[in-house]
Amino acid sequence: MSTGRDGIAGLILLAVSLVLLVKSFQLPSLPIVPVGPGFYPAIVLSLMAAASALLVLQDLMKRRPAAAAGEGDAPRRNYRLVVIAFAIVGAYVVLLPLVGFRVATVLFVGALQAALDRPRTARQWGVLAAIALGTAMASYFVFERYLLVLLPRGAWTGF
Amino acid sequence: MLDLLWNGLVNIAQWKYLLPLFAGTFIGVIGGSLPGVTITMTVIVVLPFTYGLDPLAGLAAMTGVYVGGSTGGLIACCLLGIPGSPSSIATTFDGFPMARNGEPGRAIWLGVWASVWGGLLGALFLVFLTGPLAAIALEFGPWEYFSLFVLAMAMVAGLTESSLLKGLISTAIGLLITVVGHDPIGSVPRFTFGSQFIGGGFPFLPVLIGIFAFAQIMTDLEKLNSPRGQAVESLVGTKLERFSHLKVNLEIFKQPFLLAWSTIVGLIIGILPAIGGSASSVMAYDQAKKFSKTPERFGRGHPEGIIASEASNNANVSGSLMTIMAFGIPGDAVTAVMLGAMTIHGIQSGPLFISQNPDIAYGIYAAYILAHPCMLLICIVLMPLMLRVTSVRMAVLAPVVLVLCVVGAYALNNTMQSVYVLLMFGVVGYVLVKLGFPLAPLILGLILGDQIEINLVRAIMTDANPWLFLTRPISGLLLLAAAASVVLAIWQHWRHQNRLAEEEPDF
Repeated sequence: MSTGRDGIAGLILLAVSLVLLVKSFQLPSLPIVPVGPGFYPAIVLSLMAAASALLVLQDLMKRRPAAAAGEGDAPRRNYRLVVIAFAIVGAYVVLLPLVGFRVATVLFVGALQAALDRPRTARQWGVLAAIALGTAMASYFVFERYLLVLLPRGAWTGF
Repeated sequence: MLDLLWNGLVNIAQWKYLLPLFAGTFIGVIGGSLPGVTITMTVIVVLPFTYGLDPLAGLAAMTGVYVGGSTGGLIACCLLGIPGSPSSIATTFDGFPMARNGEPGRAIWLGVWASVWGGLLGALFLVFLTGPLAAIALEFGPWEYFSLFVLAMAMVAGLTESSLLKGLISTAIGLLITVVGHDPIGSVPRFTFGSQFIGGGFPFLPVLIGIFAFAQIMTDLEKLNSPRGQAVESLVGTKLERFSHLKVNLEIFKQPFLLAWSTIVGLIIGILPAIGGSASSVMAYDQAKKFSKTPERFGRGHPEGIIASEASNNANVSGSLMTIMAFGIPGDAVTAVMLGAMTIHGIQSGPLFISQNPDIAYGIYAAYILAHPCMLLICIVLMPLMLRVTSVRMAVLAPVVLVLCVVGAYALNNTMQSVYVLLMFGVVGYVLVKLGFPLAPLILGLILGDQIEINLVRAIMTDANPWLFLTRPISGLLLLAAAASVVLAIWQHWRHQNRLAEEEPDF
């Protein structure tokens, strides 16, 4: 018997639910309410713990073929691109309060486009820059001017 | 009632409502026609634009997106052989073969007109049945509400394709997210670990946007630059052949039973919580094939397949709207976003919604009805543009959509905290999808969590006898149905496993 992906996920969720279940029992009870603030979370967490434990058990009982026959037919997944995309979004979220919406958005849209489909000619770089600038300007204009929705200002840039 | 509907129609016909409705429908059609962009994602993109509008204008725009998106998906189905949005999935089965046989115009317009008629038939049910359903819901006490929500979650967890256990865990994660922060009765902080950041709990919309939009975009990015992904036979750029709109309509109305039954199937699936348009499209297609005199022609460009799929996915919209307006439960993820938008504007959905906000309720009915001619007009005028839009690259779409997601989260309360929540749950959503956990039960848990707790505590405060949940007739029936749905799911799963075991020889 070996633990697969479901088993590991089940174990993590079981651990989280048990820790929080203990925490829910430690919550103070209120004199006016017959059930305390921990009553409902305890029900939810018990359900989650039981289902997670069953998932681990189910995974352990599962027959695992030595080699997945259909694996060669599955489309190749580009996880590197996903990691890069998450990193660029993370940088965008960090930059937003520092350089403001307009600058951060131009940088973000440009960087993510370049990461997803690297331009090779000057014209393609021009299109990329135009889309980055256009997205930032159009969204700024529509939200701030037309819909009166305030967008983040930059602590470093002042706008 | 008809007076109120007429007032709603006159109200929505004003520019301040008609313009957002038209714009929403247009964006919906475009979003729907882009493969990889779902209606949920499109409505999330439109969400921040609605913050600055008055509530009805915002809801009209979202209704437009919903209707437009349900139709827009068929264009990619017919030209690329892949659904533009999941709700059009069954249109692919006959739309693409028909287009490949040299009739792309007939395929697309059969779909558009079937959407219009299916949607408008669905409107009849929406207008005349929502009120009576809300009246039934008004009789509910906290016991019945609690049991109804439990039934909704049991159904969604049970209907998930992967496994019942994963569906249940996903539901529990959704419920758990709502527990973080102050408890609704005594304001005692729960699971905050002394952090200011989560002290007030997680705001609903950033969590929803993060989980849905990121999970989908990142999953799409995985397939980018994959040679398999690009090897799609495409009819984009094809000129539509000459055809007659009258002939297409006659073709639809020659089979009134098909149109009516597909509409009813879509409507029922829409009313059931969080199941969504893809199920209605596939189920109506399956029903059409079973009732057809020529089932062997399905899958080879048969018009009946297109009519069934498209009529049902637009009727599905009306069913989802009924559930949200009568019970306050979202029929699917799109209505979950609408529910969030209503909350932002201080509107409480549920059985009292129609009587307390008749202008908005009948405005939504009117917006739903008027979205169909708007959609038809957009399709007639802008079809050449839409035939090209399916080829827009993901490299351009993804950054723009993500910017709008960030704006949508930030503009909720003008703090970066919501954006951090968005990113955090974006990662959580993606990881859950990669681990095979369905997101629909999580979203439903997230939406209903607070209400379940409040109704549970309220019921116990009214009468501490826990057996009342079972002995009160409606509550007992609902809980019985919930248990039955779980048992049915286990049985179906077991049967499926047995079939697989029979098919796979044991070497």
